[in-house]
Amino acid sequence: MAKIVPMAKTVNTATEIFTSDVVIGLEIHVQLDTESKLFCGCATQPTKKQREQGQDVPNSRTCEVCLGMPGSKPVFNEKVLQYALKLCLALNCAIAPELIFSRKSYFYPDLAKNYQITQYEKPLGSNGFLTLPTGKKVGITRVHIEEDPASLVHPGGNLANASSASSVLIDYNRSGIPLCEIVTTPTITNPEEARAFMNKLIIILHYLGIFDEKNSVIKADANISIKKSGYIRSEVKNVTGFKEIERALFYEVGRQQKAVDSGERLVLDTRGWDPNKGLTFRMRTKETEADYGYILDTDLVAIDVTQDLLTQIKHEMPELADAKIAKYTDQHGISKLDAEVLAQEKKLAELFEKVSKKVDPLLAAKWLRRELVRVMNYNKQTFDDLLIDETHMIELLDLIEKKVITEHVAQRLLEQLIVKPFSPKAYVQKQGLGALSDNKQIEKICKEVIAENPSVVQDYKKGNEKSLHFLIGQVMRKTQGKATPKEVNEIMKKLLK
Amino acid sequence: MADALSIIALKQKLLTGELDVVEHTEMILQEAEKLNPSYHYFNVISSNLARVQAQELRREIQTALKLKDKKKLQVLQQKKLLGIPISVKDAICVKGVESTAGSRILKGYLPPFNATVISRSVNEGGIIIGKTSQDEFGFGGFNVNVGLGYQVPKNPFDKNRTTGGSSGGGSGFTQLTKYTHVSLTESTGGSIVEPAAFCGVVGLCPTYGRVSRYGLMDFANSLDKIGATGKTTADVAVLLQSIAGFDQKNATTADVPVEDYSSFVGKPIKGLKIGVVSVAFGDGTDSFVAERVWKGIKSLESQGASYEEVNLDLPITMGVPTYYLIATSEASTNLAKYCGLRYGKHEPLEGSFNEYFTQVRSKNLGEEAKRRIMLGTFARMAGYRDACYLQALKVRTKMIEEYKKLFTKYDVLMTPTAPIVAPKFDEIAKLTPLQHYMIDIFTVGPNIAGLPHISVPVGKQNGMPVGALAIADHFKESTLIKLGGALEKTCGAGQCACD
Repeated sequence: MAKIVPMAKTVNTATEIFTSDVVIGLEIHVQLDTESKLFCGCATQPTKKQREQGQDVPNSRTCEVCLGMPGSKPVFNEKVLQYALKLCLALNCAIAPELIFSRKSYFYPDLAKNYQITQYEKPLGSNGFLTLPTGKKVGITRVHIEEDPASLVHPGGNLANASSASSVLIDYNRSGIPLCEIVTTPTITNPEEARAFMNKLIIILHYLGIFDEKNSVIKADANISIKKSGYIRSEVKNVTGFKEIERALFYEVGRQQKAVDSGERLVLDTRGWDPNKGLTFRMRTKETEADYGYILDTDLVAIDVTQDLLTQIKHEMPELADAKIAKYTDQHGISKLDAEVLAQEKKLAELFEKVSKKVDPLLAAKWLRRELVRVMNYNKQTFDDLLIDETHMIELLDLIEKKVITEHVAQRLLEQLIVKPFSPKAYVQKQGLGALSDNKQIEKICKEVIAENPSVVQDYKKGNEKSLHFLIGQVMRKTQGKATPKEVNEIMKKLLK
Repeated sequence: MADALSIIALKQKLLTGELDVVEHTEMILQEAEKLNPSYHYFNVISSNLARVQAQELRREIQTALKLKDKKKLQVLQQKKLLGIPISVKDAICVKGVESTAGSRILKGYLPPFNATVISRSVNEGGIIIGKTSQDEFGFGGFNVNVGLGYQVPKNPFDKNRTTGGSSGGGSGFTQLTKYTHVSLTESTGGSIVEPAAFCGVVGLCPTYGRVSRYGLMDFANSLDKIGATGKTTADVAVLLQSIAGFDQKNATTADVPVEDYSSFVGKPIKGLKIGVVSVAFGDGTDSFVAERVWKGIKSLESQGASYEEVNLDLPITMGVPTYYLIATSEASTNLAKYCGLRYGKHEPLEGSFNEYFTQVRSKNLGEEAKRRIMLGTFARMAGYRDACYLQALKVRTKMIEEYKKLFTKYDVLMTPTAPIVAPKFDEIAKLTPLQHYMIDIFTVGPNIAGLPHISVPVGKQNGMPVGALAIADHFKESTLIKLGGALEKTCGAGQCACD
């Protein structure tokens, strides 16, 4: 059997995982949402105006430091330490007593200095874990801070075709943007778990407010190997987004299995992911581990991670999704699935917590988790641009709870509320949208509908149940949804006997 | 040289109108142009920049004098380097003036920003007259490892001898010019004091972190220090005071108050405790060099200082290897950016990126630069890193401890700056790289430990100057200035009373 090769930069804390059919370890790079870059004062993002006017010009957010000009020196942005500490704490890591930086040397056109300033000897966070919804704990080997390289722009299209392109452009706007690299232990055993891990991580980043999903990038390198090959691993580089990671890994597991089955001998390699074609492709083989010749970057002084700072950061930490899920299920009796959906979006969770103080938490959970999410998805809105506030939501749910309006009317109101907020209570009164409680009035409308649709009535009498639904629908339309379908149903059936 | 006015004296003459700043600048520029073809002190003489600066100062001075504007005159009076011609080691970036760190690979590079020491000097009224010769990226002790296409500077006392290095051009010109002049020099392992000793001038290398490195093209980031070279300790004190202090652009600068260094020139040294490093006066050091330095020490004693002989272990026995492991490890990463993409000479685009940059570096870096890149890359490779790079860092800590212990008993430690006087070029040519490196034996210690040190001339032997080295505790530059002033009293720069 081929030699088992341990994953790069990971400590194999659980040797027993090498009995699993598939072994996956992730290295995830998260761009931190700071205003300025890691070692200089350049902005990390274009201004809102520049973005709106399409004036995000390449190489416009650069200076002598992030261009690596001879003589320039990096100066650490303290905000990055605060953000990274939050992430380390959320991932249950041990925190290093001081922050020190190293140089990782390799020649590549996206590195102005031909070395990357990163952390090597003592990562800021180590020995942490993240619990998946299944309860499985994925170990975190290390969390460290480093600078993003410049971006290479391939005029010929994507990287898979790059070798045939005659030129490549370099945009240094990205050079020096702060990154956190998160390295897991190789304890992930299938692509779904990798996706769940990424999803969970993104939720944590949102809660911490350190990652801007709209304008920043999260990327994963996945190390993957299978038992059949003797765990000869491939590294799939630069997969963006948690859905893609699952796809890429699913493809790669299949590819390795097929290759081994057809008698091929796998070799260590580095692969790219082509999301359009849905396949991985070889970028280079790795005969040996790369030697980056790490040394300390002595332009940057060691920064003490003091107890005072840690206390301050702990104080600033928000309640995270896991704690909220536990609270919702234990205190309110909400189902785990509903609780998970509510807690997945920080803004939704916050809205829920405010609303559930005034109305029945179960009703609130149902309406926020199902109806609000549905309506927002339909309108392609994200929770970042949620206009609705808790007073409106409380009013709406109060109207439902007290049966002032039907659920049908409430749904219509919600659809309008997320576009332009208003007071549901006043609106219902003004528009006379209160539920019809007078059975005679409903009966009258039912009779009208029966008279208007003789052929449908005949169909029903012949035994076509669907025809009844059509008739009920007509009544609902005439009443503008103010009647409850259940009552209409009963009245209709009585009239058509 | 004896005729040259001190910085303070020249400033007064310029301010009273007795001398004209433009004329004075013109004279030193012409002198530099005249000397350079035979002495090669300058890589670039920045005449245009100097003239513009001088004309601006002339306008300010003349206006203030004409209007008898006391306030304005006071402002000008406070400028520490008013009208003083300053030369700058090539590795220090001057905006718009070709800065190459003495390397062909950077030929044509015009920095878009000033080093902090440049903006501070200019702010104090200094006039930048040019970029001085150095070993390529600072890689040498004799200034013979100049970049491809550069000329080796000649010793002002004997053209067959070295100026010392790597700040050779600045030291040589400081000695040879008839005019008031100071030089911004830089040391990684002894590059300020050693050429100062060989050229018979005063060189002061400050504490690591005392002066901003912003704008210095890096050799070894944990070792590089910008300092001052001048004809006298008094001049050096003025320049150091102008450039020292915290800089938010350089995280390794210390937020420690800057003393009034000039006020320490001529202060009595009574009670100063000197530790004489006896091993530095024994085998391996030319006896007449030892003798000259001893005379200097005795003259200090006659002024009220006391001395004891002390042992110095690690810095002497392990200094050179420790220094070369740390310095080359850092240098090999610093030089990586010179690959012909953003920085470094552009060559025809051929082959892959790896093939391209290999070609650029092979063609444009000198032999010693290549040797140090390889040494440094080796020292930080997996498998060797623990034994070389990391071990050197540990030894460094031990050395600092050893020095710190000595400084509980002594104010300064003294040795010769170099074991020999400036050697002849044909002697240097016979040296192996290792013998070449050993010239730094007395200077690497304080450089590794980040300790301030000064070299002061203590006379000549057969016409060649000898320098005495004094090392003080961190941020005790003032002690060295006091000592320098006292040594000059009896052994005045290049004109030692002992001669």
